[in-house]
Amino acid sequence: MVNGLIILFGLTMLYLSTTSRLIAHVKIVMIQGILLFLICAMGFSHMPLVAITFLTVETLIVKAILIPLFLNKVVKKTHSNRDTDANIAHFYCLLISSLILFGGFMISVVDIPSLSMINPICFGIALSTIIISLWLITIKHKILSNVIEFITMENGIFLLSLSVAKEMPMLVNIGVLLDVFIAIYILGLFVSEINTELGDMEVTHLSDLKDCDND
Amino acid sequence: MISLVFIIPIIFCILAFFIKNNKLNNIFTLLYAILHASLGAIYFIRPDIMLNNQYFNLNSSNIIFYIILSVVFLAVSIYNIGYSRNLALEFDNKKMMHYFVMLLIFVISMTGSILADNLGLAWIFIEGTTLASAYLIYFNKTKHSIEAAWKYVFICSIGIALAFVGIILLTIATGNLNSLNYEDMMANAANFNHFWLNVSFVFILFGIGTKMGLAPVHFWLPDAHSQAPSPISALLSATLLNCAFLVILNIYKIMLLANCIFCARTMLMTMGFLSLFVTSVFLYRTTNYKRMLAYSSIENMGILAIAASLGGVAYFAMVLHLIGHSLIKASFFMTSGNILELFKTKKIKSIRALGDLDKKTSWLWIVSFLGICAFPPSILFLSEFFIVQTLLIQRHYILCALFLILLTIILFAMAKVVIKMVFGQKNEERFEKAKANLNKITPSMYIPQMALLTIAFVLGVYIPKFLDIMIRTTIMG
Repeated sequence: MVNGLIILFGLTMLYLSTTSRLIAHVKIVMIQGILLFLICAMGFSHMPLVAITFLTVETLIVKAILIPLFLNKVVKKTHSNRDTDANIAHFYCLLISSLILFGGFMISVVDIPSLSMINPICFGIALSTIIISLWLITIKHKILSNVIEFITMENGIFLLSLSVAKEMPMLVNIGVLLDVFIAIYILGLFVSEINTELGDMEVTHLSDLKDCDND
Repeated sequence: MISLVFIIPIIFCILAFFIKNNKLNNIFTLLYAILHASLGAIYFIRPDIMLNNQYFNLNSSNIIFYIILSVVFLAVSIYNIGYSRNLALEFDNKKMMHYFVMLLIFVISMTGSILADNLGLAWIFIEGTTLASAYLIYFNKTKHSIEAAWKYVFICSIGIALAFVGIILLTIATGNLNSLNYEDMMANAANFNHFWLNVSFVFILFGIGTKMGLAPVHFWLPDAHSQAPSPISALLSATLLNCAFLVILNIYKIMLLANCIFCARTMLMTMGFLSLFVTSVFLYRTTNYKRMLAYSSIENMGILAIAASLGGVAYFAMVLHLIGHSLIKASFFMTSGNILELFKTKKIKSIRALGDLDKKTSWLWIVSFLGICAFPPSILFLSEFFIVQTLLIQRHYILCALFLILLTIILFAMAKVVIKMVFGQKNEERFEKAKANLNKITPSMYIPQMALLTIAFVLGVYIPKFLDIMIRTTIMG
């Protein structure tokens, strides 16, 4: 059951790479939050009660509710509906993402002694999620898309920390700080400030600072 | 006692929040700087007093980094007395309060990352430095400053996230050890899994290396350093980069103890030379003198990475370089603040005849340049000499030649700019406008640079015994 949820989590990345509608991106972030909540609640009962309570509450409230709500608000406020100017066509995006995800699955079936400390499927999917997110950041043009892909990358890292088959609640908890970090700064302050200052949310407009003539 | 360096500034922040008085803000900052330095002094005067608690530890391996932060922060606090008076003419008390509160939080975060005896905790404080300094970079609220702050936050966030991946992979490498404490990890390093250790080092080096400004993950640095207010640029360059370097150094020591050094050494060496190459190429194109200083920081971080990778005498050189770069670069950035106050522009071509306008600022500018270019008796001359010596001893002849060529190119590019700015033909109109701003430069905007440069040049000819011991224990620790 948990493995099914983890695979579903990986598949959400394929949808993310094929759609240009920002509201659909926000929905994916919400779905990933819910999936992470279910993975924590169902698959990691071996952890201490305090740690597991903290993780489930954090994933449900921050990842599945607060961040998507905030993103939704920003999308509406900035009237950014689509990110149509990606550097690569959707078909190729899907193809490359699928290949990366396939690579993640391959890691999980390879039998290497070094992998004995980890949950292979969780590790493989998490790694491919991080790589797909990083790759999508490089090809998308809207600041909001970049922020959303950063959040999916952070979700991938969260899954990676869950893949370590030893008790490291402190490690996972400090990872949670990344969420707070995003919520406070990247979303709360900069996205709206950039919109107010520049009147647009294109990454290409943030290229005034160069080594030649600027003040 | 060590908790005081965290508790006192928080009390100051709360007081500053309610009082909103510029003079009082300066007093709070200065008091904190003195307290900060006092703790370092206690380490030497009363070694019997244990400066540690459950999470933080002032010991032989981080004392140099702590002292550098103390000295630079004290200099910046003095500089801020004059600088904030000029800032207060443009901004209201509330905004000035934000400036000082964020400055204190920034220093608390850097102190935390240096004193943390746990990798996880150090990571949290490194993240904290991004939060605090992003506001300071964005302080002027111009289109350019928001662009710089956005790039800084976004690129560093990705870097910090990747470093976290590295930490997760490190926990896999540690096997049954359930701790991220540096001492525990160093004690058990021999049992670590080499494959996972190498992979984790790659992630940590790229992640924290982003914060340190190593090429090819340095892109935020010239923008952020050039857009931040000058005292903040000084702190960013002279202390923040060191904090990131300390984390990398601690992991590198673990790699060394685990006898898994080849990959780490090669990567540090490659990124070091790449940083020198990037600086030598971009310095020729830059038309902004604060960006020039930022590129110089990338160069010096590259030199630190090269020294760390070489080992042997180069370790000693690394610590000397760390001290020298921090002192001289802080002075350089603060002097650039004086020039900006006078000419109100960062364009190199708009600044000429600085020597005729303000003798003290022009001398500080020239001496800072000579110091950073390792002109003897600058302490950087010693460090770079030892690095070249180590390269020759280890028979890296081609790398040694490359190192010297790249440094010469960088020296030439910087010299061209500095000479033009100080001795160039003056534009009467601009010169008269700048002359009207001379009263904005108060004595407190000269004294800290003079002190820092004096220390940097005296250390080039005489290293006191206590400092020598400190450097040696840092290397051993």
